[in-house]
Amino acid sequence: MSDWTIRPATEQDLEAIMAIEHECFPEDAWSQDNMHYELIAHHTEYFVAVRDQAVIGYAGLSKVASSDQGDVQTIAVLPSARGLGLGRALMDALLTAAKRLHAREIFLEVRADNPVAQSLYLALGFEHIDTRKNYYQPAGVDAWIMRLTLPKRSIGREPVVLGIESTCDETGVGIVRGTTLLANIISSSMDEHARFGGVVPEIAARAHLEALKPTLDRALAEANLSLEEIDAIAVANGPGLGGAVMVGVAAAKALSVATGKPIYAVNHLVGHVGVDILERGQVETPTVALLVSGGHTSLLLVRDLLDDVELLGETIDDAAGEAFDKVARVLGLKYPGGPEIDRAAAGGDPNAIRFPRGLTQAKDMDKHRYDFSFSGLKTAVARWVEVAETKAAVGEGAELNVADVAASFREAVADVLVSKAVKACLDHSVPRLLLGGGVVANARLRELATERCAAAGIELRIPALSLCTDNGAMIATLGAQLVMAGRKPSSLAFGADSTLPVTTVQTP
Amino acid sequence: MGHLLAIDTSSGTSVAVLKDGVAFAEIEIADTRSHTESIGDAIKDALDQAGLKPQRITAVAVGRGPAPFTGLRVGIAAAVMFAEGTGAKLFGLVSLDAIARQELLSRDLAPGDSLPANRPLLVTSDARRSELYWALYSGLDRHGVPVCIEGPAVNRPADIAEQLGARGIEAATTSLTISALAIGQLFEAQAAGGNLSHDVTALYLRNPDAVEPKNLRDFGKKVSG
Repeated sequence: MSDWTIRPATEQDLEAIMAIEHECFPEDAWSQDNMHYELIAHHTEYFVAVRDQAVIGYAGLSKVASSDQGDVQTIAVLPSARGLGLGRALMDALLTAAKRLHAREIFLEVRADNPVAQSLYLALGFEHIDTRKNYYQPAGVDAWIMRLTLPKRSIGREPVVLGIESTCDETGVGIVRGTTLLANIISSSMDEHARFGGVVPEIAARAHLEALKPTLDRALAEANLSLEEIDAIAVANGPGLGGAVMVGVAAAKALSVATGKPIYAVNHLVGHVGVDILERGQVETPTVALLVSGGHTSLLLVRDLLDDVELLGETIDDAAGEAFDKVARVLGLKYPGGPEIDRAAAGGDPNAIRFPRGLTQAKDMDKHRYDFSFSGLKTAVARWVEVAETKAAVGEGAELNVADVAASFREAVADVLVSKAVKACLDHSVPRLLLGGGVVANARLRELATERCAAAGIELRIPALSLCTDNGAMIATLGAQLVMAGRKPSSLAFGADSTLPVTTVQTP
Repeated sequence: MGHLLAIDTSSGTSVAVLKDGVAFAEIEIADTRSHTESIGDAIKDALDQAGLKPQRITAVAVGRGPAPFTGLRVGIAAAVMFAEGTGAKLFGLVSLDAIARQELLSRDLAPGDSLPANRPLLVTSDARRSELYWALYSGLDRHGVPVCIEGPAVNRPADIAEQLGARGIEAATTSLTISALAIGQLFEAQAAGGNLSHDVTALYLRNPDAVEPKNLRDFGKKVSG
């Protein structure tokens, strides 16, 4: 057994790395600033060899997401630790990383007067493709340019993934190539639910069955792709309405068997977080995510999108979107309630009525610090309206001021949501908050989140609304991340899980 | 004609591969609560059993029910997408018709034969909630396709009996249940008669369980009541 190990490098290794850098490259060592940047940059992967907790070698790879070429930036082993196979092990770590990042070609330069290194690279499959004269200064030594071609892993540079979403009332099919959006088609059954004042699960499920094929066809047309050009299929298998999820899952499975493409069962809520990748290339972690829709009100702590998602809290009764729908009913407004209440609240006084903020009292902080409750709020609004109308009817009070009620209700919801989200960020020293879900369309919620995050020094991310509401692109995006991370596809045996926990990012 | 993939999830999960009415593979999963979990492997296993690549399937026939909602949709969604993924043609059949054909053939009825007018065949299947899906058949047409004279509909067993009794009908019944193989064989008979349908709409025969509130403000009134 060797007494050394290879691990990813961190910023804390900088000093040790610089010491080796100066020892190995006395004439042309990188500056500490350059090396620091290399270690923390998003497009690089650095590894260190460690013995007795001391760094004895390091190597780095550069791979930009939009390119299929990677470069070996540097590799160095302390003279006293040479001949142990460290160089080979460090190169193996870089090549593994390169493959994971879907590189097709790896380039490196090596001194023409270093036959030991050259033979290692040749043994790894690199070829000598060019020579640069006098590359290493001041000594004036030539550099060999070497290239390794890796086998093709998928069509194009990055995997093309089709995502299917059917967890509530939107049938969504999205297509991404790696982190790039190619198509995002949504067919909603919202209008069919309007006369019931809320989503009817059976109506939603029936609508999915009708909408799936046309939605898929439109997505393929928009992306200008055929099914053969898709590398993998992703589907949301929960959480959501069981009967609705089943339609998408059955469809995705049959599509997978028919086309021979691998299938990935992904978590709908984590999809809402992952969608930020389409706008920023990545989800910066750690981040707190506040997901608010007609079906969910969840506060997540995401330390790693694929491996470490924690549910901090969620609603213990109604989802926030549901509360909007129900209060809209009380106020005689249409479904869906969110936009209607937004409209009605314009010009209203948000402080006219102090509606209760659920689970915000000191006694709630133990058990429900990050949980939400909107049931009491909606009841309070209903009671307030009833009393006001009764008084007005007997001439004891003014007509019901719908604008004030709507504004005050909206303020109560936004206040609780944002307060708890900001509290979660501060408690966990997380400087980022990501919003997701259809209720993000609410103007006051966005406004309040912007204000309070700015005041607390928290960076706020609100993806485009078309990516915040339920959609297939977010499912495809999360699927593509799994593919690019080299995760195994799901088996065909997974089911629809209406209460799928956020800790299960992919169902095996 | 190439190979046919037949799917029916109106009861359990049933998948078959046929060619010219002959079964090459048959997968039966009786559990009526695991359609979603089973459907992918069922299709894959049926193809493997038949030794076929998906592209060799040129037609997909799916039972449209009538059946309880959730499971039925799984089979139809899978059929639609399998056809989409392979380019196979997609056809919808009434699941009760497939049972009727099987039963009538087992009674030695030949194509073109009819049952006595007051003794048609009553085919039923479980609709849950103490109700049955049902349809009445008078015999086989000359291609062996059962002739449906009433239904499909959904009623309580007592109501069906009363309705038929009042008209002097003493229907024959069957204990057969649906299978994808029967769907595939019905497909062949319908194809011979040239009356296949591309309609794969689910036969729910019931409206969604949702009561439209008379007054959308009902919710608000209830809280103080």
